[in-house]
Amino acid sequence: MIPIAFDHVSKFYGSEVALEEIHLAFEENQTSAVVGTSGSGKSTLIQLINGLVKPDKGTVLVFGEPIDYQHLPELRLRMGYAVQGTGLFPHLTVEQNIALLARLNHWEPGRTKARAEELMRLVNLPLGLRARYPHELSGGQQQRVGLCRAMMLNPKIFLLDEAFGALDPITRNEIHEEFLRLQESEARTIVLVTHDLREALKLAKRIVILHRGRLMQYGTSEDILKHPANEFVEHFMDAQLKS
Amino acid sequence: MSRILFSIALLLGVAAPTMGQTVIVGSKQFNEGYILSEILAQLLEDRGFAVTRKFGLQGTLVAFEALKNRGIDVYPEYSGTLEQAILKLPRRVTYAELQAELQRRYQMELLDSFGFNNTYAIALGRKSAEHLRLKTISDLAKFLELRIGLSHEFLNRQDGWPGLAQTYRLPQRPVGIEHGLAYQAIREGKLDVTDVYSTDGDVKKYDLFLLDDDRRYFPQYLAAPLVRSDLDSRVKRVLEELRGAISEEEMVGMNAMALEGKSFAEVANGFLRGKGLLRHDTITIGRSKWGTLLYRAATHVKLTLIALLAGMAAAIPLGILVYRLRAISRWVIYVAGLLQTIPSIALLAFMIPFFGIGATPAVIALFLYALLPILRNTTTALFSIDPVLKTVSVGIGLTAWQRLRYIELPLGAPTILAGIKTAAVINIGTATLAAFIGAGGLGEPIVTGLALNDTALILEGAVPAAILAIITEFVFESLERLLIPKHLLQKAVE
Repeated sequence: MIPIAFDHVSKFYGSEVALEEIHLAFEENQTSAVVGTSGSGKSTLIQLINGLVKPDKGTVLVFGEPIDYQHLPELRLRMGYAVQGTGLFPHLTVEQNIALLARLNHWEPGRTKARAEELMRLVNLPLGLRARYPHELSGGQQQRVGLCRAMMLNPKIFLLDEAFGALDPITRNEIHEEFLRLQESEARTIVLVTHDLREALKLAKRIVILHRGRLMQYGTSEDILKHPANEFVEHFMDAQLKS
Repeated sequence: MSRILFSIALLLGVAAPTMGQTVIVGSKQFNEGYILSEILAQLLEDRGFAVTRKFGLQGTLVAFEALKNRGIDVYPEYSGTLEQAILKLPRRVTYAELQAELQRRYQMELLDSFGFNNTYAIALGRKSAEHLRLKTISDLAKFLELRIGLSHEFLNRQDGWPGLAQTYRLPQRPVGIEHGLAYQAIREGKLDVTDVYSTDGDVKKYDLFLLDDDRRYFPQYLAAPLVRSDLDSRVKRVLEELRGAISEEEMVGMNAMALEGKSFAEVANGFLRGKGLLRHDTITIGRSKWGTLLYRAATHVKLTLIALLAGMAAAIPLGILVYRLRAISRWVIYVAGLLQTIPSIALLAFMIPFFGIGATPAVIALFLYALLPILRNTTTALFSIDPVLKTVSVGIGLTAWQRLRYIELPLGAPTILAGIKTAAVINIGTATLAAFIGAGGLGEPIVTGLALNDTALILEGAVPAAILAIITEFVFESLERLLIPKHLLQKAVE
């Protein structure tokens, strides 16, 4: 089954084009990265997948079916979502943040606790932090809590919107390793939005390159490195990989 | 158990069933009004009627409207006031004509007079009167520098200052001053001239000189019980026993006694006894001082609390609605803000034609005042939530209700709670004014104290009200500590 597909999708903000004629399918249980400069439409693309943004033309299909915009919360529960700056709820402790969705969906407490601890171990979060509030954690720790929260219900799709953007290089590297380990232990379809091509190459098998709302190239990392589809892709890679 | 229920019923103002018929006696907010009403009340009680006292009604219009709307059954009124302020008759009429007119227009009955005339008079300190050789109101026109301070009612009534100034060609520009404070001001030399009632005990106490009304401007102000025509004739018969029973000297005497610190009830009782009008030895079931205080405080808290809870029940959902439907937000806030700008006493007065007097209009007025602070803080709290958190809470799959319940309201809680606190403190202050429309509470001694110019009595209401406000602050602080994680509180203080 194709987990996520865009069928000739366009999105405009007033007269501005955010995305135009996007037609592509993401592969199951693989990590795909969406890269592009700011204003390329990559955030809009990811928000189309979980229905935060509705297309003006075309159809977005998730789990093989067009999105039912009347029942978005149910759909979103089957998709993890993590954003830049973590988006942790400041009034909830680490454990409450991670377990929020399980609690609201009436998981049995023992199961909730076990799952939360399992995730915390996977991303190297000391269990002693469970009762802390987000503001008492380092940036890296907060990011890990964000990952745990997104994966709590073991979603088959995981959307990351610049989720590692605000970290220092060392922490970022550590989290990358944990991210890869997570993907090995619980394979799922991941869409990762980033402006950093190196991060994309490291974490993803397939790469989508966007520019001003248009799809420039979609292929494996090797494909893109060896056969850039056009001049823009070539320039983009040069600029990103040389610096 | 039943005792507890009974006390709760008392606190909630649920009237216990009484054997006889209940008569509600009202009074306007000045000494003579209180004393006359107390006389009416005690006489009725002596004759076996249950009496509810709604004393201290603010001004003629409030009392008259209350009678019309069945908020009260009887109150003492003056013929001149009815003629000028209520019926607005163009010429002087006889007492019989006045009675007929009241019957025709309002189906009200002005019973026969108590027997004394308490007309308006213009007074100044005896010493300055002698010094300036002032004898008549006409003389007043010669002294432009005299400072005139008049009660608000007299200042604005057609039969008060406007007509007086025209008749005597008085050029001075008087200021409005609370009647109870005017005497003090004269004694302290801050004021020269004021309006008084001719039977006022203060005339004696402050040694005032009454200027002769040499052009016969003031009409007669014969005091009498005013009732609706449909009042039980047995009640009317009792009230009629007071026909011609009180002379001017007796009234001045009673007013002076009240000034000396005797309670209105004592003064009235002494009078009725002296006249042999009481058939029974009345057992005055007076509460102790602390009991009275506690009862008033309980009434006060009750008024405030009901209004506050109703305010929360309305303003928080309204705030949420405003947050969800931005289009209406500005209008809702404007309207709530407009309500806030209506002076409390005016708002209370507006309530009377709709809700009568007593606790209901007071609670409704307080409710309206509670709306804005809670509403504004609720919307501010919700609108100022970090947009990233809003996006995330939608994106991870929370329903609208779950977002509100688990994310938005908890995050907004410190600000919303602060709004509720503000409303509570405003309500405690404003509720003191509720006594003007017979709702009781800690405003009662303040209102009476203002009439008596009795600072101690004013403090008897003002101090507990201030303490209540402080306790409220304290309760809310504890609530905050209990309900809200500390690191969120520091943010809300801004």
